Amino acid sequence: MNKRFLMKAALGLTLALGLPLAAPLAAHAEDTLAKVKSTGVLKVGTETAFAPFDFIDTSGEHVGLNVDMFDEIGKELGVKIEWVTLPWDGVFPALEAGKFDIVAGPATITKARVERYRFTVPIAEATVALLKQAGDDSIEKPEDIAGKLVGSGKATAQLAQLQEFGKTLKGGVETREYVSFNEAYADLAAGRIVAVANSLPNIAYVAQQQPDTFAVVKPAFGEPSYFGFIGTKKPEDASLIDAVDAAILKMKKDGRMEKLQEKWFGTTFDTPDTVPEPKV
Amino acid sequence: MSFKLFELMLWAAGYTVVLSAISIVIGLTIGLCVCAAKLARSRALSIPATVFISFFRGVPLLVQLLLIYNLLPAIGISVPSVVAAVIGLSLCTAAYQAENLRGGFNSVPKGLLEAADMVGLSPWQQLKRIRAPIALRLTLPALVNEAILILKASSLISVVGVIELTRMAQNLSASTYRPLLFYSVAGGLYLVICWTVAGGGALAERLTRTSRA
Amino acid sequence: MSLDFGLIIEQMPDILSGLWVTLWIWVVASILGAALGFLVAAARRYGPAPLDWLLKLYVEILRGNPFLIQLFLLYFGGPFIGLRLEPIPAGLIGLTIYASAYFSEIFRAGFQAVPRGHVEAAQCVGLSRSQILRRILLPEMTMLVLPQCVNMAIILIKETAILSIITVPEMTMVIGAIGSQQYAFVDAMFLLAIFYWVLVEICDWLGRRAEAKLSKFRFAVT
Repeated sequence: MNKRFLMKAALGLTLALGLPLAAPLAAHAEDTLAKVKSTGVLKVGTETAFAPFDFIDTSGEHVGLNVDMFDEIGKELGVKIEWVTLPWDGVFPALEAGKFDIVAGPATITKARVERYRFTVPIAEATVALLKQAGDDSIEKPEDIAGKLVGSGKATAQLAQLQEFGKTLKGGVETREYVSFNEAYADLAAGRIVAVANSLPNIAYVAQQQPDTFAVVKPAFGEPSYFGFIGTKKPEDASLIDAVDAAILKMKKDGRMEKLQEKWFGTTFDTPDTVPEPKV
Repeated sequence: MSFKLFELMLWAAGYTVVLSAISIVIGLTIGLCVCAAKLARSRALSIPATVFISFFRGVPLLVQLLLIYNLLPAIGISVPSVVAAVIGLSLCTAAYQAENLRGGFNSVPKGLLEAADMVGLSPWQQLKRIRAPIALRLTLPALVNEAILILKASSLISVVGVIELTRMAQNLSASTYRPLLFYSVAGGLYLVICWTVAGGGALAERLTRTSRA
Repeated sequence: MSLDFGLIIEQMPDILSGLWVTLWIWVVASILGAALGFLVAAARRYGPAPLDWLLKLYVEILRGNPFLIQLFLLYFGGPFIGLRLEPIPAGLIGLTIYASAYFSEIFRAGFQAVPRGHVEAAQCVGLSRSQILRRILLPEMTMLVLPQCVNMAIILIKETAILSIITVPEMTMVIGAIGSQQYAFVDAMFLLAIFYWVLVEICDWLGRRAEAKLSKFRFAVT
């Protein structure tokens, strides 16, 4: 008797809890740009441990080139930007799961990713180089990391390039994969690893912020590559990425892009106006 | 640490408390259902309940959260980060709370129920007046314990994009290069929260004990 | 399911090495944590009062904040006070210390639960102190604390997943990386969930068997 009652109570509660969850099932794929415009919100996924693109400053604010760029892109599209910040290895899965409309990142434009995702036009150089401890004489050129322990970010193109580069070296390279580059920098400062492999704009920024701790090893060891923002290849997302592309190109033309590059990199550089054929 | 940064940490700690509290309450509700299902005579109910409990107790929360966040959209349910985090924490604690409650319900003396049958109380009355109050009081210490566990477990929800106390400490220690300071402050705040809950639990226990007399 | 099982088999050496790291860190941290926890509990019961207070503070601080915070303090905070541990030692030490607090509480309850009458009876029949410890206290206590110890071991195996955050190459780290490489993250998490689930069920089953074996020491708790 009692148990039957408990059963019914359980069933009722399950239904009560389950129904509101099941309701969104009715939604179907609509054009993403139209959806963004009608809700007035562009959801952007990123990781906030990728200075100077996305990071937390000393006052706890999320700042960086991406924040400024998406502010402008938002103005162009007439929408507000909503940030979703995840660990990097969770960003692509969440994009595919539809948690946000576009990924800021940015991500290196690689052969493997181009096959799976739609990149925007490049926004910066991504060529990979090494960051070492300031004053470390044992690493003067990239080849000097042979046989040593080097860190990079989990699920990043930079890590893949480091591993490729390691294969060309005698004795190889031991790699350590960090949840984010911030942890890798911290471990480099602590001396647990001898270098961090990351894209030039990133490590140049870090070295410039902490010249007593870090230094960039020149030249870059990676193939020349570029950074772009990332969307999916779903047909309903195409219009959105087209619109973002148009906004970026407009910013390049009217000089806003240069200003932002100057602000965050201390220098300006040219990037192609179309997604280039990836070399890596 | 400037006051502004400390304020950010406090704000994040508040967020941790709010999300944990919501998860505890939802978890208790689900836990009750699961407990009822597990106690049911029907196997169609008790077996799924057993599997539910076994799964959520057997898989690390980190993995559960990533599954919930990324798997639900595959079946057409897309939820924002905060909701995914609350669902993850709730389901995890529900499994434990169901077991605690089962222990509580099983410890209700049989004689009391027989007596209730004798005086003609309906099953609903028995549940409301006898079984539930006794079981809930018996499981109160376990509930407080569970609340503390969930407060601590919430340190993992940043993997689905929620910026709570641990994530805030991580962010600020990266931007200021002072991990020792920020992780210590975060640890201190967790201590204050957990000790407060433990103290409150002890007080509640004492109060319910006196009210019994 | 987009996970390519052919590739999984190709990656088997990596997966097995991750499993191995998970297993040995778990077993070693559980044993060391239980041993340390036993010492803490014994010191609190039989040591001087100030030691009891100090150890109580140790236990409550460790139980009052998340393992992740403790791990971050040890690993990222450590170098600032001259303690530079590699990921695996840091993970092992962190997990052991964390576990010791919980184990000590389990043993403390165990000490209290062995009925005084049993010890008194043993004294009456002339058993020596070490005999009482070996024949009465330890077996009865083991029986009392075993279920909670198994429970704690299960909690610990799940906590090892957190070690991936400080780059310990354990199961979560390895399988997560494979998932990212193959763009099959959800499938990888699913696989991972199954792995842990099976491990936990095995641990639970072993615990129940040990309990059955030890049941001759069971007595009614009054």
